[in-house]
Amino acid sequence: MPDMLNKLKHHWNVTSRREFFTQAGSGLAAIALAAMLDEDARAASVDPLAPKKPHVAPRAKSVIWCFMEGGPSQVDLFDPKPMLDQLALQPVPASFHPEQLLTAQGAKPSDGLFPSRRQFKQYGQSGLWVSDWLPCIAEHVDDLAVVRSVTSDAVNHVGGVCQMNTGDILAGRPSMGAWVTYGLGSAARNLPTFIVMQDDKEILGGVQNYGSGFLPATYQGSLFRQGDTPILNLKPPAGTTDAQQRSKLDFLRDLNGLYGRDKEEDTELDARTRSYELAYQMQSAAPEAVDLSKESEATKKLYGMDDPETAVYGANCLMARRLVERGVRFVEVYSGSGSGWDAHQNVEKNHTKWCRASDKPVAGLLADLKSRGMLKDTLVVWGGEFGRTPFAQVTAGQSVDQYGRDHNPWGFTMWMAGGGVKGGQTIGSTDDIGLRAIDEPHHVHDIHASVLYLLGLDHLKTTYLRNGRAERPTGTGGHLIEKLWA
Amino acid sequence: MRPVVLLLALGAATLALYSAETHQFTDAQKSFWSLQPVKKPAAPAVKNQQWAKNPIDAFIFAKLQDQGLQPNPRADKLTLLRRVTEDVTGLPPTQEVIQQFLNDNSPDAYEKVVDRLLASPAYGERWGRHWLDVVRYADSNGFKADETRPNIWRYRDYAIKSFNDDKPYDRFVKEQIAGDELYPGDPDALIAMGYNRNWIDETNAAGLITRRQETLDDMTAITGQAFMGLTYGCARCHDHKFDPILQKDYYRLQAFFANTVAGDGPLPLKDPEQRKKYEEQKALWEEKTKDIRAEMATILDPLRIAKAKNGANTFEEPVKTAIFKKPEERTAWEAVMYKTAEARVAFDEEPDARTLRTLKGDAAKRYAELKKQLAEFDSLRPAPLPQGQFMVDVSATAPPTYILRGGNPDLKGEEVQPGFLSILDPTDAKITPPAGINSTGRRSALAAWLTDPKNPLVARVMVNRIWHYHFGHGIVATPGDFGRMGARPTHPELLDYLASYFVENGWSIKKVNRLILLSNTYQQSADFQEVSAQKDPDDKLLWRWPRKRLEAEAIRDSMLQVSGLLNAKMGGPGVFPPVPAGTISELSATAAAGGWKTEKDALQNNRRSVYIFVRRNLRYPMLMEFDSANTFESCDFRKPTVTPAQALDLMNNDLVLDWARAFTGRVLNDSGLSPEAQVDRAFKLAYGRSATQEEQKLAADFLARQIPIMQARIASGKDKPPVPSDLPAGIDAARAAALVDLSQMLLNSNEFLYLN
Repeated sequence: MPDMLNKLKHHWNVTSRREFFTQAGSGLAAIALAAMLDEDARAASVDPLAPKKPHVAPRAKSVIWCFMEGGPSQVDLFDPKPMLDQLALQPVPASFHPEQLLTAQGAKPSDGLFPSRRQFKQYGQSGLWVSDWLPCIAEHVDDLAVVRSVTSDAVNHVGGVCQMNTGDILAGRPSMGAWVTYGLGSAARNLPTFIVMQDDKEILGGVQNYGSGFLPATYQGSLFRQGDTPILNLKPPAGTTDAQQRSKLDFLRDLNGLYGRDKEEDTELDARTRSYELAYQMQSAAPEAVDLSKESEATKKLYGMDDPETAVYGANCLMARRLVERGVRFVEVYSGSGSGWDAHQNVEKNHTKWCRASDKPVAGLLADLKSRGMLKDTLVVWGGEFGRTPFAQVTAGQSVDQYGRDHNPWGFTMWMAGGGVKGGQTIGSTDDIGLRAIDEPHHVHDIHASVLYLLGLDHLKTTYLRNGRAERPTGTGGHLIEKLWA
Repeated sequence: MRPVVLLLALGAATLALYSAETHQFTDAQKSFWSLQPVKKPAAPAVKNQQWAKNPIDAFIFAKLQDQGLQPNPRADKLTLLRRVTEDVTGLPPTQEVIQQFLNDNSPDAYEKVVDRLLASPAYGERWGRHWLDVVRYADSNGFKADETRPNIWRYRDYAIKSFNDDKPYDRFVKEQIAGDELYPGDPDALIAMGYNRNWIDETNAAGLITRRQETLDDMTAITGQAFMGLTYGCARCHDHKFDPILQKDYYRLQAFFANTVAGDGPLPLKDPEQRKKYEEQKALWEEKTKDIRAEMATILDPLRIAKAKNGANTFEEPVKTAIFKKPEERTAWEAVMYKTAEARVAFDEEPDARTLRTLKGDAAKRYAELKKQLAEFDSLRPAPLPQGQFMVDVSATAPPTYILRGGNPDLKGEEVQPGFLSILDPTDAKITPPAGINSTGRRSALAAWLTDPKNPLVARVMVNRIWHYHFGHGIVATPGDFGRMGARPTHPELLDYLASYFVENGWSIKKVNRLILLSNTYQQSADFQEVSAQKDPDDKLLWRWPRKRLEAEAIRDSMLQVSGLLNAKMGGPGVFPPVPAGTISELSATAAAGGWKTEKDALQNNRRSVYIFVRRNLRYPMLMEFDSANTFESCDFRKPTVTPAQALDLMNNDLVLDWARAFTGRVLNDSGLSPEAQVDRAFKLAYGRSATQEEQKLAADFLARQIPIMQARIASGKDKPPVPSDLPAGIDAARAAALVDLSQMLLNSNEFLYLN
């Protein structure tokens, strides 16, 4: 039975199924191995969100992923490159193999290297470099592990955002939030466990970025809507009173009770009845979670909610903290959703706007999490789907100070903080012009493997049998970036 | 020089690896169960002759007997009627049908029900939907743009009609794989080719070569999974790790589709007389307008060139070359790539309005004049033909197919010819180009191989799917994977018996349905037996009928039927029923692609779920919550989940409340003024049976709680609770509103949502 053993090994869900049966008290502990595997193939998991055991000791309970959509420029933010000044507006030297580059919008390496106009400074005990575009985040460098050597396969946004979320540039695979929900279940049953928030337009590629792919639909992310009804069908029909609804649910429970009297072995029937109680609780829990009116003025100010320029992203970051506080496991907070950071023209103007909109809120989030003692088990991830080219994207008729930068998936910066991450360090590096990752390059899969690891999931064991293949979140790749926590 | 030599040597070694002519399969691989010929076994002799009513029962009973298990007795009549009616049609039985069946004590009462259900058009709407799951049907392209496929719904209707007509499955397969070649001139056979037009397509992809390869991979994978139950996607990059499927076989199979492109366009008229008339009329119009159209075309020439240049901007060099060649100078590969690019680099008669506006000055003026002149001939122009979306060969010569290293279209290995699985037939397929058609004939060869009764997989896979839909799990628990990673058959002889029966009976799906439905195995109760459960907890041996929840479509359709709202109209373009508030923000992204324009005609909202427009990036929320197919790949079985989102939808969705209101209207219209009679009527409509005393008590308590709440709401004057229109005399609004709540909870209850 080598194939069967293989299946077992690749298919960690088996353990949870056994646990489930044991918990359900149906005396099936002695269930035959083969039977269990076939049962698995039918995926009859009754309660797909039941909490599951992690593979390794989790360092983080939750993730808040600050997604700078469109691609922030690494050489203007965290990865200073003095050589750009030395070679200003000169073609990318042959030693950097510009001939191998396929740019998304046709920026030419021969158009000239484009020096950053930012002032870089070292901050904190650790002396990490940050530019003057992010003065607030800079104050937290001692908590950040800055990975300067991330690489992606995507030249375009749709593929890039998709890969940063699902591991593949082609849509259709489960998103990381879905894998985490599948792997760990839900710790907050009265709230969705994977939540996505936008600050501007629709995320490029839309629902695929928080979809469940080939995992059951129940693992997909919920896009939280603005206002007090963040979830579809959350509000009872107009005029319904609580007493009325409570009475309906009691009646339903009693009806189901009569029907289930001679069907006690069927745990699914019971799970359905319980799902109504959870739904009922969600009706009050979800609006409560997004209700910022109870937060103090000082807290709101910390997130920049008192300033129109930072208010939107600030409110989303504060909501993210509230959700995590309530046990939500995976929150994605998009800055510049719909490719805001995509500075093909006038990187100066574009990044000034988006840095301004996100810097204070992200810093506020870090400060707030820390002061509440939540940073130690909340992992904060910052980054875009790729970075930007160190050479200019030149648009005819524009002056040098209006130059833009094209997409750069060959080497860009992301950082993590909290959730067991060792702060105050820089990991990996790009070449002298900030074009390609050269030391310790880390593919997006490595980021994913490491985020999963910090949450307690081994990316090699987080598998789902599909079409005869044990699929995992990292495709056929993924290496842990151990320096993050070691 | 040295590095070059080294590279060449490496290249040669790699190529050698991929051109291994003969592959040695192991004995274990050669003797794998699903690849063995189907042999019809005799039904086993069993002791309980009375229970073993038909051959299926004999096979099932023999295994139960081996384990010392007893099958359950027959389910009671009402339970059975509800089960078989939902199973066959996706709708609950009506009160009239229930009464008729309960009163019919003839020995063939059940058989008559089965035959009536199989003959009902609702059968095709349910079983056609099963097939749409398998072939990843959707009304849009997928990916970011997710544009509407305006005519693909004809394929959905074709599937429904094929099941209703009990089209022989071999013919069904042939039409979908090679309908264009095998049945030229038959519009249905062309619509059937929509099967392979269901690919997920990134129409605005920057590179065309990858996009094309993705389409080929999709067609190759779906054909393996849908018809053969083989998941050979892994063989795209390497020999299959578990199954005897070579990477070479993957590309041999892909070669059958190497020359295919989207053939979207007019469908031929079925009647030759009409077709002739159409052609004559068209020729006449063309003749009369020749000069006008020629001049218009000349004016548009610069726009054509601009569109080609702009459209081809991001394409790879070889694709650009193909686009700017004269059609007759294009190689086979270039012809395929041109056709793939066509929508982005060319326009038909006239470009879109925005492009047309780039025409300026005299040219624009003259063009407008000509257009007016052309319009004067409109009376001569024949009515446009109905349009379809399907896949066809672009010509009679296919481009070469190569083994691709790592599945990468840039890394070509050995060239391969169309062929089947080497373990079954290592030779190249014999291709006969069809006479009189501009097509390769490759797919005809594939269709013939698939429908050859000697093919060990195709009939087995289909009867197993049928079994799966009837029982909730297949004889092989993985209907799309008959390989080593899939499950083994629990009853291999029964599977072979059914496969043989299927082929012997002219590949009739309905005959297999009927054989299963008339078995005692199917008719037994779903009752729990402690002893049996200990030995066979998953009911693999079928000691009981496995209870199951209704599928997404059946839930919605059953609610509509019980409410008396169901609009039974069949066919036509997809409909857009209301979506919950808040969904619109997601829809705005697809606005350019057609968005979600909620129907103005309320009757359209109440069509069966199979007719709801399937937008890949926005599955209809209620259906998605209840685990509808994901449309991105073949869906072999729906995975039932239980989530709070489902509860929120059935509790809070205004639509469900409105259905409950209509349901209450039915209750009040024909149950008189007695509260008990009203409750009883509600139970009868929802469950098909009377309310028990206990239930009457529960309902009375509930109404007693609810009526004062409703009175208060009505008195407050705002947000009055919904009540049926035209309340009968003597029914006050508060009581009616309380009954709406009661009706809604019946629709939410387990008894309504589960089949026993």
